[in-house]
Amino acid sequence: MIQVQNIVQSYGRDKEILKDVSLTVREHEITALIGANGAGKSTLLSVMTNLVPAQSGQVLLHGQDIRNIKSNELAKHIAFLKQSQQLAIRITVNDLVEFGRFPHCGGKLGDEDKRKVAEALDYLNMGDMAEKYLDKISGGQRQRAFIAMILAQDTPYIFLDEPLNNLDIRYSVEMMKNVQRLVSALGKTVIVVLHDINFASAYAHHIVAMRDGKIAKEGPPCEVVTAQVLDPVFEHKFHIIDHDGKQVSLYYDHDEASACKFCG
Amino acid sequence: MTKRFFARQWKRMIIMSLFILLVVLSLEIGSMSDIGMMAAIRGDENARLVFVHSRLPRTIAVVLAAAGLSVAGLLMQAVSRNKFMSSTTAGTIDAAALGSLLPFIFFGQQSGWVQTLFAFVFALLSTLLFTAVINRLKIREVVYIPLLGMMYGGLILALSTALSFRFAEVGAMEFLQQIYLGSFARLGDFRFVWIVSIPLVLAVVFATKFSIIGLGADFAKNLGLNYNRVVMLALVIVALISASTFVAVGPLPFIGLIIPNMATSFYGDNLKKSIVDLMLFGAVFVLLCDIVSRLVMFPFEMNVSVTISVVGGVVFMMYLLRGMYGGKLRRRKATVA
Repeated sequence: MIQVQNIVQSYGRDKEILKDVSLTVREHEITALIGANGAGKSTLLSVMTNLVPAQSGQVLLHGQDIRNIKSNELAKHIAFLKQSQQLAIRITVNDLVEFGRFPHCGGKLGDEDKRKVAEALDYLNMGDMAEKYLDKISGGQRQRAFIAMILAQDTPYIFLDEPLNNLDIRYSVEMMKNVQRLVSALGKTVIVVLHDINFASAYAHHIVAMRDGKIAKEGPPCEVVTAQVLDPVFEHKFHIIDHDGKQVSLYYDHDEASACKFCG
Repeated sequence: MTKRFFARQWKRMIIMSLFILLVVLSLEIGSMSDIGMMAAIRGDENARLVFVHSRLPRTIAVVLAAAGLSVAGLLMQAVSRNKFMSSTTAGTIDAAALGSLLPFIFFGQQSGWVQTLFAFVFALLSTLLFTAVINRLKIREVVYIPLLGMMYGGLILALSTALSFRFAEVGAMEFLQQIYLGSFARLGDFRFVWIVSIPLVLAVVFATKFSIIGLGADFAKNLGLNYNRVVMLALVIVALISASTFVAVGPLPFIGLIIPNMATSFYGDNLKKSIVDLMLFGAVFVLLCDIVSRLVMFPFEMNVSVTISVVGGVVFMMYLLRGMYGGKLRRRKATVA
């Protein structure tokens, strides 16, 4: 269980990025963090994974402050993937996924590790691509390779920071479906920063909307994806429509958007 | 997977055979043509002496220095996440030179060990300073960093030169000139090139960690790695290799830059799998250059750094142009899409 308690985080003298944030992560669900640029989503994710240690307040993993957990031990519980990785070295998909076993084996792969790597590759349908170099495959496949690595890392908690960046619609949907499978079939707990509200609405079980370093509202999609909540969060006028029981937000200016010239 | 496995084995076999062939050649070539390995083995006392005291140490020095500089280059590239970093293009060599010059000026001619120690300290401090500045500057264009590094190295060289002028009366100018000539024909012994084997072993032991830091700080932290400590370890290894090879054989320009780039295009960057191939690759390259330098005006020999500069310079230019042109090409594509 991950509990975030009264986190205050600031850069420089007085620029507060997070102002007293408290949150209990819901187990075996997808939690989406949404909010405008600079609302503190990525900072919150960094603090929750101890990438940036909390300045004030604490993050508890099963009741223990994560700042006091050895980094190697923490890496067996929490996996974290930052927004799309820019690669400077040439490695294969298989090499990458094997790195995921590092916290468990320190680079010396045993039978158990090899099995986990093969499973992860299989699970994301990357078996036949295992020996391909990462710079030779498409952006969507690369993102999938990174998810396979996280899966091989075999942690109950997975944090993803804008995993849909630079992915086209097909790969974005595929990505979210994979994330959904991690939760439904493998019982993982996923916390994901998403820019697209509609993806959050369609795939997340729980949405946390952030504004100015605070949690503005959290709840199931039907409670958060409403004009009443979203308008102040994004300082923008939203129009929400109901489509097969899912809320879809339209965010272009409704009055000014002109109809198609040809069909009236 | 098995197909790939055999492909890798084939590549390794080829580089291995080349390596052994060149080692034998390197041992056989010398101004006294009747002294070869066979003569030494047969028990010709004269041949044995030349072989044990000249030919063998020289070949070992070539192999160790080449393997070391290749590994040092790759580590620097992993740490900086820039394919153009190396001890030549980050001022490390020039700092090592300054480090060997200072004890000479103030305490007179020193043993190789003292020189290596000073060269190591200066190389390490300089590399730390340079990487810190580079990280602070956040330069996007990767090709600017080697250019900046060369300027930085030039500054250190200028400082060394100024110092050597100031202390010309103790022979500092001749000393500086002499240490800047890369050569495997130095009169001194190659004993301290053995130091290179220590960081080489360390590099093999920590290979996976170095590959992981090559994927970035956040990536490394996610896997529970102490990023700063591993970077520090890598830089210590780099400085140790640069300093000891510099004192033993002088600067061998471009090796740390072009060998990792060429080798990783064949073997990839997963150090655990490719570090031995990388070392062999570097050794083959320098052995070739060394043999060429010894043959072009036989029985005299050219400085090996001249040959390496000529060949390495051309290869470096190719990579530089490709880096610039390739970068532009990619950017143009991105704007179209």
